[in-house]
Amino acid sequence: MPGIDECLLEAMRLPGARGAALVDWTSGLALGTVGESPGGDHETTAAEAAELARLAAEHGAFAAGDDPGGERPPVEDLIVSNRDSYHLLRFVDTSFDSSVFLHLWLTRAEGNLALARIRLGEMAERLVLG
Amino acid sequence: MTVVDTPPPLPVRDKATAVERAWGGVSPMLTRLAAERATGVLVREGGALHLEEGLVTYAESPLSLGLDALLTAHGTVRAEVWSEALSRADEHRGAARFLLAGGHLTEGALQVCHLGALYDAAYFALAPSSTPGRFRYGVAHRLGPVLPVPVAALERETLRRRDLLHRVWPDPRPDHTPLVRTHTAAAPRPTARQQRLLDRLDGTRTAADLARELGRQAFHTLVDVRRLAAAGLLAPRPEPVPAPGPATSAAAPAAPHPSSAPHPASAPDAEPRRPPAAGAPPPALADPPPPGLTERLAQHTTDPHITLLKRLRDALEAL
Repeated sequence: MPGIDECLLEAMRLPGARGAALVDWTSGLALGTVGESPGGDHETTAAEAAELARLAAEHGAFAAGDDPGGERPPVEDLIVSNRDSYHLLRFVDTSFDSSVFLHLWLTRAEGNLALARIRLGEMAERLVLG
Repeated sequence: MTVVDTPPPLPVRDKATAVERAWGGVSPMLTRLAAERATGVLVREGGALHLEEGLVTYAESPLSLGLDALLTAHGTVRAEVWSEALSRADEHRGAARFLLAGGHLTEGALQVCHLGALYDAAYFALAPSSTPGRFRYGVAHRLGPVLPVPVAALERETLRRRDLLHRVWPDPRPDHTPLVRTHTAAAPRPTARQQRLLDRLDGTRTAADLARELGRQAFHTLVDVRRLAAAGLLAPRPEPVPAPGPATSAAAPAAPHPSSAPHPASAPDAEPRRPPAAGAPPPALADPPPPGLTERLAQHTTDPHITLLKRLRDALEAL
């Protein structure tokens, strides 16, 4: 049963991982951070990632069709790639009211996006379900 | 050509707020307690912060849901389990230990919910207040340490949250007055979460009531409320036309919420047709002031210079 820090450290063991954070997307608060962040400031990165996550989560076009009540996160994950890195955002589904996601920053040369996506999904589940 | 008229007195700001703003922090007392690594509970007007060795371990506010309410609202933990864990807690082993040991939730889930509740309550506990806080030494919270938060991080986040709300919609009235549904053409479609909030608006519920009923974090609810206010889908309940005699019905819903106290621009005073207090100059019937301006004081002056100065002051304060 890992806590937030153990979960983030586990994410950092993925190939190419540079930084990881657990972020609340309504407020933009980083609940935990490990490693580097793109601008050197985890709080700014968290606020910016939260804005992206919120847009994806709040627009009906991206929502899964099986949960019209919106009780669960409508989006599973978000992938942003640029010339030198990948950003992977994984929404965490909690049984209590929350709006958190895991944010993993990978270097493009070493990162394996497919593997990271599967692993981050497992970590998000273990974080809250054990 | 000597001007002998005394200009109307400039509005006096809440002293506590002014001191805190000048100092640049949220609560100088809290900073001092952190520096001396104090253990105990800081009780402020809007809520209380529990400290252990100078770190914040728990926060509570009448305006937000506690960890217990958040965990039990959606059935994550049964209420009996929570109260049993609390009753078994002692000085050395907090209630959190028993919740985890009993396998009722994972450490990650507890930490996520706990941090959510802590920052949520701290936002209200650290709101500008008109009375000084009190600190009682030596009382650690029964939950026990889950993930203690440094005071500086908490203060920074609280200021950031104030800015966040201000950027969404600069009028703070929807935060603590009963809300009504409004309708505008071409409003954006609310999300399912926002729709459930809108469905409950009946002119008596405040944002805090909605958060409690929906089992949501209160600050998250404020973000939704301000977004919906910006979209024109809800508004603070307009005050009824004042009847002669004390306007008890108008003031009553806001009364239990301490955070409404430090806002001189609260709704009852914003009614332009309200009869002025005895001896006061006639109210200005100019166009309504922009949100954030202290409407009550604007009523008492029509001097464009004063108005300009007040606008400038509000703009500076909003920086």
